[in-house]
Amino acid sequence: MRLSEVTERVSGAAARVPRSVYAVGGLVIAIIFPLLNMAGWVETAWLRVGVISLLFVMLSLGLNIVMGETGLLNLGYIAFFAFGAYTTALLSSPKFELRWPFLVVVVLSALIAMVAGFVIGLPTLRLRGDYLAIVTLAFGEIVRLTITNLQDFTNGPNGITGIYSPRLVGEGALESLGSTGPAAWLVIDKPVEYYYLVLACVAVTAVLISNLKNSRIGRAWNALREDELAAVSAGITASRAKLLSVVLSAGIAGFAGSLFAYYSNVISPESFLFMQSVIVVCMVVLGGMGSIPGVILGAIVLQALPQVIRQAAGAARSEFEVYRMLIFGIIIVVMVIFRPEGLLPDTLWRREAHEVDPREQEKTRQSLFDLEEGEKDLEV
Amino acid sequence: MGTILELQGVSMSFGGLKAVDSLSFDVRENEIVSIIGPNGSGKTTTFNVISGLYEPDSGDILLKGESVAGLRPDQVHDKGISRTFQSLRLFSNMSVLDNVLVGMHSVTDAGLIASMLRLPKVRREEAAMRVKAREILEMFPGRFSGPRQQQPAFSLSYANRRRLEIARALASEPALLLLDEPVAGMNPMESREVMEQIKVLRDKGYTILMIEHDMHVVEGVSDRVIAMDHGVKIAEGTYTEVANDPQVVEAYLGKRAAEATA
Ligand SMILES: Nc1ncnc2c1ncn2[C@@H]1O[C@H](COP(=O)(O)OP(=O)(O)O)[C@@H](O)[C@H]1O
Ligand SMILES: [Mg+2]
Repeated sequence: MRLSEVTERVSGAAARVPRSVYAVGGLVIAIIFPLLNMAGWVETAWLRVGVISLLFVMLSLGLNIVMGETGLLNLGYIAFFAFGAYTTALLSSPKFELRWPFLVVVVLSALIAMVAGFVIGLPTLRLRGDYLAIVTLAFGEIVRLTITNLQDFTNGPNGITGIYSPRLVGEGALESLGSTGPAAWLVIDKPVEYYYLVLACVAVTAVLISNLKNSRIGRAWNALREDELAAVSAGITASRAKLLSVVLSAGIAGFAGSLFAYYSNVISPESFLFMQSVIVVCMVVLGGMGSIPGVILGAIVLQALPQVIRQAAGAARSEFEVYRMLIFGIIIVVMVIFRPEGLLPDTLWRREAHEVDPREQEKTRQSLFDLEEGEKDLEV
Repeated sequence: MGTILELQGVSMSFGGLKAVDSLSFDVRENEIVSIIGPNGSGKTTTFNVISGLYEPDSGDILLKGESVAGLRPDQVHDKGISRTFQSLRLFSNMSVLDNVLVGMHSVTDAGLIASMLRLPKVRREEAAMRVKAREILEMFPGRFSGPRQQQPAFSLSYANRRRLEIARALASEPALLLLDEPVAGMNPMESREVMEQIKVLRDKGYTILMIEHDMHVVEGVSDRVIAMDHGVKIAEGTYTEVANDPQVVEAYLGKRAAEATA
């Protein structure tokens, strides 16, 4: 049996399982995972892998809005993550001796990233394909170099250290209720707490985006991607719809960046390299552009799998690092050749990848029986 | 009957080529007006100028007395002009139903936050849109029934894709419907069916400006006919008047043939 046949069968079986089963199943596994650590069966290091994987899930969900829905490539996406992370670092660290409330900081971080999205989005609305790739790539690099050189604000390559842990309720809020100080459970500083915080954020983001995908706005994005001229002639304001998707995806990255800064306590420009943007693109492509379960899986596979392999490799760990990007490259090349629509494909992209979809063809044959005579005009 | 569309000396050129040359005509409420003319006579360009894809070099375009010249296509659509394309332009990977739903974009208003939260009003709007979309699709009896509404647009036959484009254009209940060669590529039976449907649309109150090559269709549905050649309007009137106009015969058959028939 050829590889493509195998994947076709597997995905055929996978497609028969309702999407809600995946969602609930995935969430249950994600919720149970830290309990294994508490029970002592899993090292805390794996919890950290979990937090980082979840942050990348959020990045993939955000990038998927522009890449998967609107069809705009962004090779500088990590810059928005940086905007969120640095906003948080500046507002909640000894650098300027600020400790703004967590919710305010997170929202501001997302907003600043959205402003950055607007600023880069507006002049690039007309670009597509190669040009868009080059401009977004340059944007990502400019942001990183600016961060590196703005010593006074960012401490340059040394980064910002000592970022405070999030306090869900600000200092003083409890005193007013008659308590003497912030209760310990209101401060998030243990890996398991971060894990659940980020998981909750990811789950909420996934639900909101999935609603949006199946709305009038999501359809407008898809229509623009399919045929921009027809879409604008059908009443869709291209600039507005595209800008909305760019700004929203930037906001999600900013949100993720804020959580990342809180979690890692220290951030520096080397977390925002071009390679990171490429990795997020790979996660979206691997999982399946436009597919929410797909990009979640893609992010987990590409973020967690290398860690698993590294663990398994044991003594050869340092050598593994060298091969990590090579393995990434091979995975993506194999995917693009054999399964361009991704692991858990979105319907539109599956159709895009295969002019005629075998499953669609089967359905069509079935439905032909239901239709009257003289109606057999489906071209498949 | 009021005037829906009025073109006043509209010109549009590509480089040195005057594709549309000081074109003036109007379309009144609840009328079907057909534009005929040989290939390359500027008919599609006229549509492109009206629908905002091109900005006219000179002249004005009025929709119910209000200028729409120079507006973006989505703005023109908002004002009430919907169109189909000579070369089909469907959202081919999207379902039949979704194609029609996209056509309703400008007449619905669920915003970003409301859509993300799927608020009750968004659900109501979505449900109402689907009911409406099915109603529109049922204007083409049996063509988009049941399971076919969920199929991708590309899987439809050529004739059904043309019908779907009309359905998408109707989704916003436009004040003026522009149809660019709606029966191109159809067999005589299919053409006749579409012709009947266009008449039904007029009975429902729609105003239609149509480009058409099929003279049976033009004869069958048009209240008035406009003939174009080299970007210029060469005749206007009833089908019989225009079809017998020497300039029109000449444009179609060449000068010598025109003299022969005269
Ligand atoms: N975008 C364009 N660029 C250059 N020339 C064009 C363009 N669109 C149309 N034309 C030219 O304008 C003339 C009229 O074309 P068109 O309006 O498509 O004719 P019709 O629809 O009557 O067949 C033709 O000579 C055509 O080649
Ligand atoms: Mg034409």
